[in-house]
Amino acid sequence: MKRRNLLSLLGLAPALLAGARTQAQPTDKTPKSGKSGAAPSGAQFTALNPKGSPPPVKLIPMAPRLDTVHGKTIYLVDTGFMSGGVLLQQMQIWFQKNYPDVTTIFRKKAGAYMEDDPPLWKEIKANGNAAIMAIGH
Amino acid sequence: MGIPSAPIITKAFKDLAILNAAKRGMPHERICFTQHPVWGKTPDELKVYVNGDDPVNNKPFMKEVVDALTVPLSDDEKKSGMVSVSVGPPTFTDTADNLQDFYLNNGYTDFLPIILPTEERVDAMMKGTSHHPDEVVGKMAAGAYPPWSYTVRHVAASAVMAGCRPEYFPLLLAVASTGIASLFSSTNSFAFAMIVNGPIRDKLEFNYGIGALGPFAQANAAIGRAWTIMSKNLGNGGIPGDTYLGSVGNNLNYNNVVIAENEEASPWDPFHVQRGFKKEENVVSLFRGLGVVPGQVARGSSVNTAPMFDQQMSDLFSTFTGFFGALIIADPLVAVRLHEQGYDTKDKLIAWLYKNTTQTVKDYKSRNYSYLFEYPQALQGVEPFATWYKLPDDAVIPHFPRPSSFNIVVTGGQTNAYPQGANMSYGVSVSIDKWA
Repeated sequence: MKRRNLLSLLGLAPALLAGARTQAQPTDKTPKSGKSGAAPSGAQFTALNPKGSPPPVKLIPMAPRLDTVHGKTIYLVDTGFMSGGVLLQQMQIWFQKNYPDVTTIFRKKAGAYMEDDPPLWKEIKANGNAAIMAIGH
Repeated sequence: MGIPSAPIITKAFKDLAILNAAKRGMPHERICFTQHPVWGKTPDELKVYVNGDDPVNNKPFMKEVVDALTVPLSDDEKKSGMVSVSVGPPTFTDTADNLQDFYLNNGYTDFLPIILPTEERVDAMMKGTSHHPDEVVGKMAAGAYPPWSYTVRHVAASAVMAGCRPEYFPLLLAVASTGIASLFSSTNSFAFAMIVNGPIRDKLEFNYGIGALGPFAQANAAIGRAWTIMSKNLGNGGIPGDTYLGSVGNNLNYNNVVIAENEEASPWDPFHVQRGFKKEENVVSLFRGLGVVPGQVARGSSVNTAPMFDQQMSDLFSTFTGFFGALIIADPLVAVRLHEQGYDTKDKLIAWLYKNTTQTVKDYKSRNYSYLFEYPQALQGVEPFATWYKLPDDAVIPHFPRPSSFNIVVTGGQTNAYPQGANMSYGVSVSIDKWA
């Protein structure tokens, strides 16, 4: 799925956001919702939609961007997947070569990959201008 | 954090990353993609990734990263507010064949034919409980996603689809109340199991004799299947690339591992009694892990006169990840023999297995789950991992972190003394009677 498809449908076909992809794009074959009379082609049945109820999505405005990375401090955060740190170290080398005035700080996030690390976020916000988070696999 | 960030994801998780960001409120998050996989690549190989193109956006990767941090925000990226999410109308009307196709094509099923959840059938299912159709049963998440909620009626629809009888319904509500989905988003292709204890085993005609884990009774088959269909519908699990990422997948996901304990033939306390319930209570206990393997493959399984089932199990479990632990599924013949050999409680056998199933620190550190889940705990001082990671490579340590990593259930028809082992960890036990 292309990102623009998702974005164009956001708020217009919210079922897609919930993952019910086909349902968000009904075709002529989509059954009618609710009850209806019998059609000539065969006996009609009314069956329940088995899907649970997704929570609403609270949109989060993105943080303002930097005017430039020159002279800035960028944290490189390893989330803990295998080799994620190695990838970030190569990015660190790239910055040293292409943006030598950028300060990069490498950190491995505490806990397993799915765990939050509020002290690190606090440190980054206090001492950094931007963050790059990398995942492995 | 309030400062610009650029998440890096490999291209294999494109849809997942975009959808997850959208569901969490950032549909325009500037995700930068690298080639896949990163795991197993050398620094020089990853340098090629870094200096190459973003394979999704087809632009130089590092330019994408710098742009993600510096290009001014669009109006869409600044948006706030709430977006409601719909999953469609409450009912669908069409011919039976068209409805079958519709449910299949929308991912509501396990891709096998279903019993259509007509209003009449769902109403009949709900007569199996005293709880109100609109009562919220729980919340279920497909992995790391925000959880969905569901009512008694929602659960009933999936129960009908799986071929369940109304008398099964309290058990399914008990499972649903835990919020544990049997389809998990991880790349690991997890499997799930449930143990059923109490008089309800006979009332629902569970098979806990010959072929206890096989397709030989409606209760075992339909209830296990219902758990997977519920996981797809109640928590929106099982969408490949979005809410399901198991690389190879797991055949056990079709109807899970449903184990009715053979309490009558076991020399030990039933599983639910071990967990603090009374013997006459009806209880379902849930497990998660990687799968089931047969004990016949273990060393020592050809010894005829004095079978060493403890050693066989230890040998079998030495290939397991300690992260998930071991669930012993013992035929009553195995359990009785172990009892005769001095293991008069399950705990005694567990204590022996914990002590005698070992590994070197070097082997331990080399394991995937050790690095992903236990090394981070070691750094935080969590035992026994903190101590294990400080030991020399040739030190010998338990294969499983603690005795509670082991669980034992007895089931089967006593046609032969074969145990099986599941690399699965215990989750929770809940009352079925509460949902009657």
